Amino acid sequence: MSTEISRRTFIKGGAAAGVAIAAGTYFKWEGNNIPKNVRDGNVTYDVLIIGSGGAGMKAALEAAKNDKLKVAVMTKMIPTRSASTMAQGGMNGVTGVTDPDDTTESHAFDTVKGGDYLCDQDAVEYFTETAGKIIYEMDYMGYPYNRQKDGSFHQRKMGGSSHARAAYYEDRSGHAMVHALFEQCLAKNVEFISECQMLEIIRKDEKLSGVVAVDMRSGNFISIPTKSIIIATGGYGRAYWIRTTNPYSSTGDGIAMGMQLGIPFKDPEMVQFHPTGLASNGVLLSESSRSEGAYLLDKDGNRFMARYAPKAMELATRDIVARSIETEINEGRGIGEGLHAAVYMDFRHIPKERIMERLGQVYDLSLRFEGVDISKQPVPIRCSCHYSMGGLEVDDYKTTATRVPGVYAAGECSCVSIHGANRLGANSLSEVLVFGTVAGKSAAEYAAKVKYEGNLEVLKAARDQWLAKFDEVTARTAGTPVVEIRDKMAETMWYKAGVYRDEQHLNEASKEIDALMELYKNCYVGDASHTYNTAFMNYIEIGNLLQISKAIVLGATARKESRGGHSRKDFPLRDDKNFMKHTLVFKEGNTYKTEYKDVVVTKYQPKERKY
Amino acid sequence: MIVTLQIHRYVDEKKWIQEYKIEITKGLTILSALHEIKAKQDPSLSFTSSCRSSICGACAVRVNDHSELACEVLLDTLVKRYKTDVLVVEPLGNFRVIRDLIVDWDPKYEKMKKIEPSLHPKAEFTVQTGCKQSIEDFDKYKKYAGCILCGSCVSECNKSALNEKDFLDPFIFVKAAKLVEDSRDKDHKQHLKDVIEAGLWKCFNCQECTASCPKDLDPAGAIEKLKEATFKLEMASSVGSNHAKAIYDDIYNTGLLDESKLSVQSEGFISAAFRVPIAYRLMKTGKLDLFEKAPVNKDISKIRSIIDIAAKEDK
Repeated sequence: MSTEISRRTFIKGGAAAGVAIAAGTYFKWEGNNIPKNVRDGNVTYDVLIIGSGGAGMKAALEAAKNDKLKVAVMTKMIPTRSASTMAQGGMNGVTGVTDPDDTTESHAFDTVKGGDYLCDQDAVEYFTETAGKIIYEMDYMGYPYNRQKDGSFHQRKMGGSSHARAAYYEDRSGHAMVHALFEQCLAKNVEFISECQMLEIIRKDEKLSGVVAVDMRSGNFISIPTKSIIIATGGYGRAYWIRTTNPYSSTGDGIAMGMQLGIPFKDPEMVQFHPTGLASNGVLLSESSRSEGAYLLDKDGNRFMARYAPKAMELATRDIVARSIETEINEGRGIGEGLHAAVYMDFRHIPKERIMERLGQVYDLSLRFEGVDISKQPVPIRCSCHYSMGGLEVDDYKTTATRVPGVYAAGECSCVSIHGANRLGANSLSEVLVFGTVAGKSAAEYAAKVKYEGNLEVLKAARDQWLAKFDEVTARTAGTPVVEIRDKMAETMWYKAGVYRDEQHLNEASKEIDALMELYKNCYVGDASHTYNTAFMNYIEIGNLLQISKAIVLGATARKESRGGHSRKDFPLRDDKNFMKHTLVFKEGNTYKTEYKDVVVTKYQPKERKY
Repeated sequence: MIVTLQIHRYVDEKKWIQEYKIEITKGLTILSALHEIKAKQDPSLSFTSSCRSSICGACAVRVNDHSELACEVLLDTLVKRYKTDVLVVEPLGNFRVIRDLIVDWDPKYEKMKKIEPSLHPKAEFTVQTGCKQSIEDFDKYKKYAGCILCGSCVSECNKSALNEKDFLDPFIFVKAAKLVEDSRDKDHKQHLKDVIEAGLWKCFNCQECTASCPKDLDPAGAIEKLKEATFKLEMASSVGSNHAKAIYDDIYNTGLLDESKLSVQSEGFISAAFRVPIAYRLMKTGKLDLFEKAPVNKDISKIRSIIDIAAKEDK
């Protein structure tokens, strides 16, 4: 063994010697991370926001403007870990700084057309009129925008957009947004109740009582009374588990809990498959790859998009590109076999400096997971579940109120219906900011004028029930492991309710999900400790995802047409006569039922979508 | 190839090292290995993760004494780097450990608040019209905006290991450098004042943070940038900055470092007076001669011209 001591070892040794008890980092966790009065359920909140992504933090900043209100953000992780950080392309909003010809009508039309006419057009108009303003506001909050010569932020053109209107920070636009918001939250001293997994929203006799959650760090079960709740828990892409670009946390928790309260799950079948996930693991290569000019090639090097969208080519909307890729693979023009089948994305004609400047993350991911230097070789890609257009029904886009008084929803977990059947790139970050703001403002206004009418006894009883349930569930020594249920669910969803769907497969999927729900009742968790029990957390998440999957399958079965992200092989055309309607899935006890609600049309009559 | 992961476990005050074996497959990262172990071998193994594409910062851990973003590093790479098939995985250093590989971030956020970590926009900017900034000015801080708060830097920070109470975590200095370099901000002096008070001059300059940053943000460089800014904005009046200034003056004047004068110049006469016993011992052993005339380096003109060129380039 070498006796040579490096500079590193020398300094480390010196520092360690200085700290007489260097191992003081291990200690008993007392659960003091949450103040005792909050832990005991003795503090009533005015606005409790669940979820610390873009929508949650923006809502908090807005609600906290009224300093008489008690506002907090509860999150199952810590802030800045959410799905929002992963958004790459940018945020759409009409400002005209890069393209003076852009108009809010154009943005609205692009959005409605992109959404295959399932958007509520009044909400879309409000959204496009507000989105530009939010881009300026974020500049003022410190968002690190890439700039253009006149000193304004620069905007780029994304897939499905007819003008350059996405402001951005390199290819890490969501990351920059989340950190700018988090900095503001720290500056304004916004209260975070971090690492608490929400378990149930308690409402009895039409009166909202509050939320039951488990504090991951201490393992304490807590109940928090609140006058209003903003659900901002993100999407449900993890229903497809490994075939998704979403983070591990996108498990539709808020939607499952909202359904329990009686809020319908709107358009659950509308799931977006991003065309460019890495072949090996589904990790996203940004849409900006295509907006910077990357080509999609079949195994012989032909740009196959010429067959599907001769004008827009690779810049056609995500659903069209995703189906084109699947068709290429199904018809034998892809590479690889089965789950490893793929097509190529080619960057070789783009100067390396531009790749490094604008697509650094795409470059890194391709190199790491596929071993491909994209400036020299094309990278294998295929579809990956990317975004949930569906979500908790928002009754009124001007407030984001749901049909349960005091409960609001914003961001990916909500369905304001601006994305319709397919979301445009760079509309999601704008959405979380626009409707996060609306939610924060309306919940604060609501809380300021109502009294707390909940029932603390009911709330505490619910908390105790969850504690008993924890003990029962984690004490099991046998049963189907949660992970096994998860993987079976993902397989069912990918093959039978994925990019292409049909009656027979959907019926099978329905039966399989029901069977998994049965297994779930007695499943094996495998960890009984109260301290940061991630196995229990996964158990809760998979339970939520099973309900979500059930709703996706129900919605997809009932919608006998193809529209946006929903493609039925047995009904390949859009059917405006029967399906200019939103699906509403209600949950009552353990039964689910489907209703419909008309789409709001203002200016834009349905036309065939061509790119 | 089969690799052994020795994972530091800590559950409910019990601490042990547990071994897991895993086969290396294509694209297998530390994080995917942890997930596979949790799924197939031990559901009680605990860690945090979210995005698995190195942007959320949730999954940083230490492997073989170096912090790594678990979702980013291939097992294969580490096996080759350390020429071993046994890898030791433990939680980040300089954090309080909650369980297994999970650490507590709350104290870090409290520290971040000390530097007023948000932009204080100049008066000419408004919420309605946003801000203006040249491309060159954007380039000055854009790198620092890439911090993902993963904690890899502070995990390896020697100064924090010795005493973290009078020092900020390297990523907080990065945040401060971002604000100080951002032309939209009006309060550079305020941010700097906070940073000086929070230990700017206490950095050991060991470069561990820079070596461990998965985003190549160079936190040690950010600390140097902040120190430079204190001189530019004429806010340099602490022991640390006086020390730097004393060294600079000595080198500029004589081309040599006269250590005997450093204490007085850095700390002032009164504080330096406490060092008299040391000076006495040094004199007694012949290591310090107060009456010796300070020599001048024969290449003094060359040295000065190097300093002048560096100063010019800096402008």
